[in-house]
Amino acid sequence: MKILIVEDEHELASDMVKYLSGEQYVCEVASDFESAIERIDLYHYDCILLDLMLPGGSGLQLLEYLRKENKQDGVIIISAKNSIEDKVVGLKIGADDYLAKPFHLSELSARIFSIIRRKKFDTANVIEQNELNVDMDARSVSVAGNPINLTKKEFDLLLLFLGNKNKVISKNALAEHLSGDLADMMDNHDFVYAHVKNLKKKLTEANYGNYLTTIYGTGYKWRA
Amino acid sequence: MSKLLNRPLKMFTWFAMLLLACSIPVYYLAIDQIWISELDEHNYIIKHRIEQKLRESEFSDSEIENVVRLWSVIEPETELVPVLANASQNDSLYEVTRITDFDDEIETDRFRGLRSYIHVNEKTYRFTTETNVEEADETLAAIAAVTVLFFILLLLGFILLNRRISKQIWKPFYLTLDKLSTFDLNKNPNSDFETSDIEEFAQLNQELEKLILRSVSTFNQQKEFIENASHELQTPLAVLRSKLELLIQGQNLTKEQLELIAGINTSLSRLSRINKNILLLAKIDNHQFSDSEQVDVTACLEECLQLLDDHFSSKRLTVERATEAECLQTCNRSLLEMLFNNLLVNAIVHGAEQGLVKIETRPDGFSVSNSGMEQLDSETIFNRFSTTASSANGSGLGLAISKQVCERYGWEIAYRFENGLHVFSVDF
Repeated sequence: MKILIVEDEHELASDMVKYLSGEQYVCEVASDFESAIERIDLYHYDCILLDLMLPGGSGLQLLEYLRKENKQDGVIIISAKNSIEDKVVGLKIGADDYLAKPFHLSELSARIFSIIRRKKFDTANVIEQNELNVDMDARSVSVAGNPINLTKKEFDLLLLFLGNKNKVISKNALAEHLSGDLADMMDNHDFVYAHVKNLKKKLTEANYGNYLTTIYGTGYKWRA
Repeated sequence: MSKLLNRPLKMFTWFAMLLLACSIPVYYLAIDQIWISELDEHNYIIKHRIEQKLRESEFSDSEIENVVRLWSVIEPETELVPVLANASQNDSLYEVTRITDFDDEIETDRFRGLRSYIHVNEKTYRFTTETNVEEADETLAAIAAVTVLFFILLLLGFILLNRRISKQIWKPFYLTLDKLSTFDLNKNPNSDFETSDIEEFAQLNQELEKLILRSVSTFNQQKEFIENASHELQTPLAVLRSKLELLIQGQNLTKEQLELIAGINTSLSRLSRINKNILLLAKIDNHQFSDSEQVDVTACLEECLQLLDDHFSSKRLTVERATEAECLQTCNRSLLEMLFNNLLVNAIVHGAEQGLVKIETRPDGFSVSNSGMEQLDSETIFNRFSTTASSANGSGLGLAISKQVCERYGWEIAYRFENGLHVFSVDF
């Protein structure tokens, strides 16, 4: 699957490429407005990561161009501005998601994962991994045909893990995924352990293999 | 501290008092002098009249003797006594104080006397007459009384004039003062002062206007700078964060390295939190939040509480809710959420483990309380970065943001410590 990263900050762009490559993604980078338009015209992307402040033009203009050309690429705005107005305008013009800088790469990966899935599987958006079956639309999970009851937070955690297979996810990223901006306000992320523990317990009880491992002092990793 | 116009009033009053006090003896001396010279003149007139009448009427010696005798009976204060012609005949003026028999009150009276000599029928008579003069103390008392009366009138006049002056002439000054006392750089400062036809005031207003304009522009520049600076920091922070995330993907990291990374992560989180809050404050300062919504305060609070559920339970805090009635406010929803979140997070972060968090909503406000040990400094608690070192895990800006949000809508936020609870209350 192809991803276009429209970002003028080279360091950040190359970090995103490094994180997202490896998996099933192929990443390309455009660092200004012109080259971004060029690439959009030439290729089709499954997802475009769009910075709003670009040399040569605004990301919002680019978004308008995409919609005018009737391109169905998924778009995630990544902006340092974090203003509600930008978010509202961006989503109105047709962005699929909005992520404020600084963000966690794992969060970005999970959002890309869910947008691509949504675009591809309009009717039956179901993730299958070994004996695990996750219905994204119905938000239900079953292991080998046996449904398990997950709380909203446990389900959200599972989605983050599935979007970051074989990646170490820091507990900060987990906390932020669960409580959004609020996680930012506190250092204590103990509550994350409780939710991960419960999720792990429920999956294990349903005889799902032990794919979720703890990385010392840092976070968790979903092996697949 | 005394009022400006009261200073000269005080000085004028002292000066008037001193002057009037000095005038009392001077008046007295002048009046007494006039009295005495008038009475001396009067006595001489009497003497001349008697002398003239005696000569004109051409009395014989025996008749004169009779007149003199009668005189001394009827008019004891005037005396006519025959003396030897060769005796000393110099006039003398004198003053005497004695008890007079012809007054209703028995007291000593002052008399001005003239002793002179009259020549009738080649005989010499010693003439003495005494006229009552007002006593010195009585004159003095009368003058003092009048002076005091005038002093009081003068004082009243001063006070009335002073009031008028302060009302009329100083009016532009007080208007300017009023304007300055309500001046707030944060609230759309208006530097228009009343025009004045008094040079000094006009100049004062002019200089103040200049000063205010300068302050406003400096203030705006600073606000802009803060916003731009924290904005610029967002990108390097994002790069740092992503590098760290890439770093932890490494396969062969040792326990020590992971610990180091975790440490860096914590500090980085704090750094981006502080930066985010500074940016947020700058945005509120710069009025970048529109407000047109009717927000259900209780429902909004409920949502915030739900999001924070995990944090309450992980610190095993007991949450007590008291809701009186529904409350609607016109404000920006995200700002209200921010206010709730900051106060609730503050209660969670600073509350004791297994403590109590009390949330009360009223139709005209709400309060968030958490158990604590001792009173905090209510003066500085809402200042930016005023947190004590022991609670260094916050951004130091949460309460400043809360205050800023409240100020934005004219709400009153206050802190107090009662019954072992830190209470933060907001009145709409």
